[in-house]
Amino acid sequence: MRNIFVTGMGIITSLGIGKDRTLQALQQKKSSIGAMKYLQTTHNNFPVGEVQLSTDEMGDFLNVPDGTYTRTALLGRIALKEALQESEINEKRPKRLALISGTTVGGMDKSEIFYNDFLSGDKHTEYIETHDCGATTDLISKEYQGKFDVITTISTACSSAANAVILGANLIKTGRVDAAIVGGSECLSKFHLNGFKTLMILDSEHNKPFDRNRNGLNLGEGAAFIVIESEESVNERNVNPICKLSGYANTCDAFHQTATSPNGEGAFLAMEKAIQESGLKKSDIDYINAHGTGTDNNDLTEGIAIMRVFGDKIPPVSSIKSFTGHTTSAAGSVESVISILALKHNFIPVNLNFTEQIEELSFKPATEMIPNKDLKHVITNSFGFGGNDSSCIFSQIDLS
Amino acid sequence: MSIYINSIAHISIQEPMSENWFHSPIMYRENYVRSIEPDYSAFIPMMTARRMGLVMKRAIATALKTIRETGIENPDAIITGTGLGCIENTEKFLIAMIENNEELLPPTAFMQSTHNTIGSQIAVFLKCNGYNSTYSHRGTSFDSALFDAVMQFELEKISSALINSHDEMTPNYFKLLSKLNYWKEGEISEEVLRDGKSKGSFSSEASVSFMLENSKSKNTICELKGMEMMYEPDIEQIEVCLNKILRRNNLNINNINAVVVGVSGDKDNDDIYTELLSSILPQKPVVWYKHIFGESYSASGLGMYVAATILKKGILPKHLLYSKTCTDASTPQNILVYNHFQNKDHSLVLLSSCNN
Repeated sequence: MRNIFVTGMGIITSLGIGKDRTLQALQQKKSSIGAMKYLQTTHNNFPVGEVQLSTDEMGDFLNVPDGTYTRTALLGRIALKEALQESEINEKRPKRLALISGTTVGGMDKSEIFYNDFLSGDKHTEYIETHDCGATTDLISKEYQGKFDVITTISTACSSAANAVILGANLIKTGRVDAAIVGGSECLSKFHLNGFKTLMILDSEHNKPFDRNRNGLNLGEGAAFIVIESEESVNERNVNPICKLSGYANTCDAFHQTATSPNGEGAFLAMEKAIQESGLKKSDIDYINAHGTGTDNNDLTEGIAIMRVFGDKIPPVSSIKSFTGHTTSAAGSVESVISILALKHNFIPVNLNFTEQIEELSFKPATEMIPNKDLKHVITNSFGFGGNDSSCIFSQIDLS
Repeated sequence: MSIYINSIAHISIQEPMSENWFHSPIMYRENYVRSIEPDYSAFIPMMTARRMGLVMKRAIATALKTIRETGIENPDAIITGTGLGCIENTEKFLIAMIENNEELLPPTAFMQSTHNTIGSQIAVFLKCNGYNSTYSHRGTSFDSALFDAVMQFELEKISSALINSHDEMTPNYFKLLSKLNYWKEGEISEEVLRDGKSKGSFSSEASVSFMLENSKSKNTICELKGMEMMYEPDIEQIEVCLNKILRRNNLNINNINAVVVGVSGDKDNDDIYTELLSSILPQKPVVWYKHIFGESYSASGLGMYVAATILKKGILPKHLLYSKTCTDASTPQNILVYNHFQNKDHSLVLLSSCNN
């Protein structure tokens, strides 16, 4: 395939603002899951991965004028700001640039508070227009002072941001844009917390991905964007590529709205097809950044799918949701950034809170950091409700 | 590489799964009209249908109709557009959460609230493991879904795609959008909408499914020759983009026989179309559809359906003409579908007749 490079990244999660804080926490094995501070809910006993800023503080951080901003949009702007800086897009603009963002809750953080005002009164009605997913991307796009050529919004639940990467790559491959800023953003909301609670998949303690005694997920929040760019544009703008997007695939488990098929068919196909597209051998993959939510269902079937793809030669696997919680629609890009950090700094992020292997699986997740490991290719999985499964592969740039 | 539209099905405020609107459309006077439901028993087992929300039933029924007509039981891609997703279930869960102070909530409404419920449930219904994605980008949600498919056809990643777009409008959401002047007050008529001097349109619902393939079939409706999307373009950029599509097909602006646009009666919305039409597409017959199908986030899907139907039938009925002065409405060969949302996201689709 035509080379597509990554030339910038931005991230915000409960680990902190920016790549440096993220890297530091990963390398120091410091989870940021803890007690709820900002989200107002009666179920505040559940641990979450919460960004340690109030929505107003985020606005101040960005120096945005007082106005209509949702938490998801502000998270997105913070991540976009960093991605724009690293890729030097403000200074050296690509000819044509797209913004593709994923979200599901959109402006729900305001809607769930003001819903009765929306209906009965005239107060806070400005937040009606910021409720939907597309409006969220519009608000995020305002961080960029230049002009985007294409903007759209993907909403495939927890694989939204991964599918944004895929659409961005296709926009570049068909020559429609030279670069695309792709990712997702999602804030914690009462709506999500209560929703996941009714599904009985929230762990009341810290999540334990791939552990036999895992007990569900912790919700997180955050945003991340990566800048992907054609080789021609990288050369033309004279910027440093960080790594290569070497393969990707989107498949559907087509089994059930909230449960996965017993043999992890969708997950299996996503990894198989992504590897196939990259032209790599399975043995070339050095690290699997798993979706690993910590739920009974996901970790078992994703594990089975990994066994089906890699046989008895399974590369190190870990889920970083033990650090950030499940950042839902942002997870695909949050974990792409983390996978790229692993690739760039040659380490395997660990899977925290693991004690006992899942009986049915032939592997344990990576619990030791294995620094200085020579990573060349990493695959990252993002799976959503309804079986919207996507995998992306990032690779070191072969300088030979 | 070619893309053909081989089947289309709609459930809307016109007679569902029917082309009766082409000659005798139902005209409405209310500013809030909900879709006419077909008999779902022909598509979905009764017990299954009972558990489904309205938007879900409409999605499954329109998808199945295109599948039956084409025999494509396992499309390579299912791509869905929806501005508001499963808003009925979202509201149900939200209201229960507020009223019951976050206690004793049933999981079903939440499970079926996410936007991708629609596309993934179609995949579950069809047991289809192929590419599956959902776009939720306001009034260009359908356009985004189509754009994704067009690119994958171009890259030869797929040979068939079910492209669909669905929006329901609940009484509550209608009320919310009323506060933002989305809807006109008082009686709606073709004249009021054509007049275009005030804010707002009339609210409706739309569900539309297309089966696209890279080969022609005996039922082919028309060919999709090109598509582009733009963000906040000026008129010159739209012209450049249009010429690019035309040139790729060895056509020029004179070959466009009609332009289908999303004029809705809303002044701000319609002015954008009028300006573009007068500056780069003067004298072209202008076709509208929102006067009979209403306005919703998925309406642009119906715009493409209207254009495709005109090409298939080879005539342009008078009631679809927005422009009073029309120089040429003879058998159309090439139709441009132009849509924008709030003058931010714009899309161009070129369709051509396959009748010869």
